[in-house]
Amino acid sequence: MLVATVPAYLDDRSLDQLARALGSWPPPGRLLIDARACKWASPYGFCALLTLGQAMAEAGLEPPRFAVPDAEEVRTYWARAGFFKYAAEYFALHGKVPRKQPDEPSDVLLPVTPIRGTDDVHAVVNTVAESATRILTAELGLEPKSTGRFTMTFSEACQNITEHAGTGGWVAVHAYHWRRRLGRRVVVMAISDAGVGFRRSLEATESRKFGDRWSDGTALETALIQEISRFRDPGRGQGLAMIKRTLREWQGKISIRSGTARLAIVPPWDDDSPLTEHLPYFPGSQVQIVIPAREGHAP
Amino acid sequence: MIQTIHLDRVLREAVTTPFGDLVTRPTGAAVRGHIQRTMSAARGGLTRLDFSAVRLIDFSCADEVVAKLLLAADPAVEHYVVLHGLNEDQTEAIDYVLTRHRLAVAAVPQAAVRPVVLGWATADDRDVFDAVTATGGGDPAALARWLQWPQGRCHETLAALAFRRLVRASATAYLPLVLP
Repeated sequence: MLVATVPAYLDDRSLDQLARALGSWPPPGRLLIDARACKWASPYGFCALLTLGQAMAEAGLEPPRFAVPDAEEVRTYWARAGFFKYAAEYFALHGKVPRKQPDEPSDVLLPVTPIRGTDDVHAVVNTVAESATRILTAELGLEPKSTGRFTMTFSEACQNITEHAGTGGWVAVHAYHWRRRLGRRVVVMAISDAGVGFRRSLEATESRKFGDRWSDGTALETALIQEISRFRDPGRGQGLAMIKRTLREWQGKISIRSGTARLAIVPPWDDDSPLTEHLPYFPGSQVQIVIPAREGHAP
Repeated sequence: MIQTIHLDRVLREAVTTPFGDLVTRPTGAAVRGHIQRTMSAARGGLTRLDFSAVRLIDFSCADEVVAKLLLAADPAVEHYVVLHGLNEDQTEAIDYVLTRHRLAVAAVPQAAVRPVVLGWATADDRDVFDAVTATGGGDPAALARWLQWPQGRCHETLAALAFRRLVRASATAYLPLVLP
């Protein structure tokens, strides 16, 4: 049995460790995902784990075993974040899973939620829109008039799943303090799908221009930097363009991991690489959007 | 004939979700289909699309509802569209998607004191549109005098605005679609 250990802190960067532990795709033989020592997961981490389970199910593979975190407070938090509600559909869970779904903590603005179609996008947009003003003013110190832009950003990001993935996905939105990376509160949106990925989505229309250079990285650049969609319609590609424009204004960050590459539009406060290639493969596409609190804002 | 289409009502009829936001392309396409059927029954005239009870429209939905509605308009039918009751975010989203398509529409946003052009328009287009709105319209010579422009420049711009259904051309004058 292949054992893939979940990093102690599972987020957009440490997901690469988990992906490396999976080896080739699909993982050879039975898989055990070992989260026993995990102390914390970001919304990106939760969505990515469920994406992994979903991708294996859709590939017709045996459901992986999943050893839940040892620490009770970690399990409780994962339950509150909505992870266990769906994890049982894709994993054979081992360990003590909180039975009752506790109330969501205040920092979980949207628990992990599946996106399978347009109705789901409407529902999550409605949930986020209802709390958007509180999030922006109390958590981030932004003006209440930013509410519409914030919700539109989320809506456009969610639609990448329904428009391009060819299958379902997961979204979650949390607010928390980024002590080490930024020293400010942030709102983090995570959107992950188990679909075909950017390279395959754009291959038919864009790969010829790149020839041998066509890769996960060039596909991400085509979509995020050049704002090109697989649809010929000139109205397409506006969603990502709008997200970039909004994040530029708020000094936010977007990063997208697809297949073996990750591309980020890096704000001045971060030291991430804009493009990272030759990463270990992870199924589907994972988007993370980070909106930091206004400088000097103390919630 | 003037017809008013309330987008919040169309949204409730066109899709089954209980939510009041114009989001996603399939939703936008369904809403546009509803608007097109209502407009084609009127066979010309002026249609006011009222957004005042809609909370949010995202870019994808704005593209489907407004841009594609204008792109599909039959040039042989004299039918005008004016957007009403837009909030700041809706105004921005629609302006952005129309600019990308090089389209334009007349609108009366919630915060505006007079109608504006959203989307792709030159400075001359906007000046003449404002002049027609402010004066209530007139013949090209009168509007040129009001603007203190050469008549040819004013006439050319008026003709372009009329072609794009941003002002109405009568036999002798160019008229605003809506009065301030």
